[in-house]
Amino acid sequence: MNSIDDLDFSKTYTYADYYSWRFEERLELIKGKVFKMSPAPSGKHQTVTLNIASELNFFLKNKSCRVYVSPFDVRLVRGETSDKMVKTVVQPDVCVICDLTKMADQRSCLGAPDLVVEVLSPGNNAKELKIKYDLYEEFGVKEYWVVYPNELSLIRYVLNNEAKFAVEGRVLTVGDTVITEILPGFKLALDDVFNGLL
Amino acid sequence: MKSIDDLDFSKTYTYADYLLWKFDERLELIKGKIFKMSPAPSINHQRIIVNLLRPLANFLLDKPCEVFIAPFDVRLVRNEKSDKKVKTVVQPDVCIVCDPGKLADQRSCLGAPDLVVEILSSGNNAKDLPIKYDLYEVFGVKEYWVVYPIEQCLLRYVLTEKGKFIAGGRALTFGDKITTPILPGLELALDDVFLNLN
Repeated sequence: MNSIDDLDFSKTYTYADYYSWRFEERLELIKGKVFKMSPAPSGKHQTVTLNIASELNFFLKNKSCRVYVSPFDVRLVRGETSDKMVKTVVQPDVCVICDLTKMADQRSCLGAPDLVVEVLSPGNNAKELKIKYDLYEEFGVKEYWVVYPNELSLIRYVLNNEAKFAVEGRVLTVGDTVITEILPGFKLALDDVFNGLL
Repeated sequence: MKSIDDLDFSKTYTYADYLLWKFDERLELIKGKIFKMSPAPSINHQRIIVNLLRPLANFLLDKPCEVFIAPFDVRLVRNEKSDKKVKTVVQPDVCIVCDPGKLADQRSCLGAPDLVVEILSSGNNAKDLPIKYDLYEVFGVKEYWVVYPIEQCLLRYVLTEKGKFIAGGRALTFGDKITTPILPGLELALDDVFLNLN
């Protein structure tokens, strides 16, 4: 397929289809359905994404986990790993992967990252707040951080023993620090996350 | 005191002082310290207030609880009730008071509202959020809703039996509905809360 206009948005696709598409528009595949991604994100969005990714990247130097930034495909799967069976492919803004066998086929991540960060944009964020929240929970992402660049806030959802996301305490904001069991020793100051916006 | 310039921001004031101030600027008093309120809120901020108020006011027409919008003073107190002892006076964007005894002196609310809604406005009060969150928790507000007008979602914190706020699940957004045990039978659609924003 050479043009996005050839897609049938009511149809169900797989990673095998997705991998053969040759147009430039960015898409995500969620349970086989095609979701268009918003066009180029705002400067604020990118500042925050870069700030988080660079703090993570600096911390992970010489460690076994790796950080990736969008565009980067993550295939969310349970047992089904063949391209023709995989129906969910998303592009999180930032993710951290500690099990590098998930990167073994050199194309994209196969399986849930340990940490996913999504930075919200102005307007309707139902995809990040509902659809992806449910997906990440269902497929076992250990932590999901949602960042609000305009309101200088970050919410940390942590997968609990019952495989459900739970949030402890209030939203984090300027003056707060994020820590996570996934990366012991890592400290992320929210002032650094929003550096350049304050 | 006739001008805000006469205030000493390093000093500790009480509700008795606050009542005497005759200038136009809106202030809040938190543990005796003065916090300036932001100037006129944005249009979308005000639209959200109206969108919330419309169903709430209708729903409460024949019920004992009342809904109030800022400017409306809420005195947060434990046992100290005399004006000279009260050190915390805040102006939530929207609040619901179910105990008419709290309104008995006809001046303002004395004691915690059952529900408080704050609508953030671009970073300014994101920084105040931890302060308000702690205040409402300590003084026993049963539910605290925080609305993100730009990212268009709502966080609902519910006071547990132990007197701590917990987040009632993920952020609510388009397609979601809020219900609360404070107002049984009420159902607010988030699509309506974020209606007609630009």
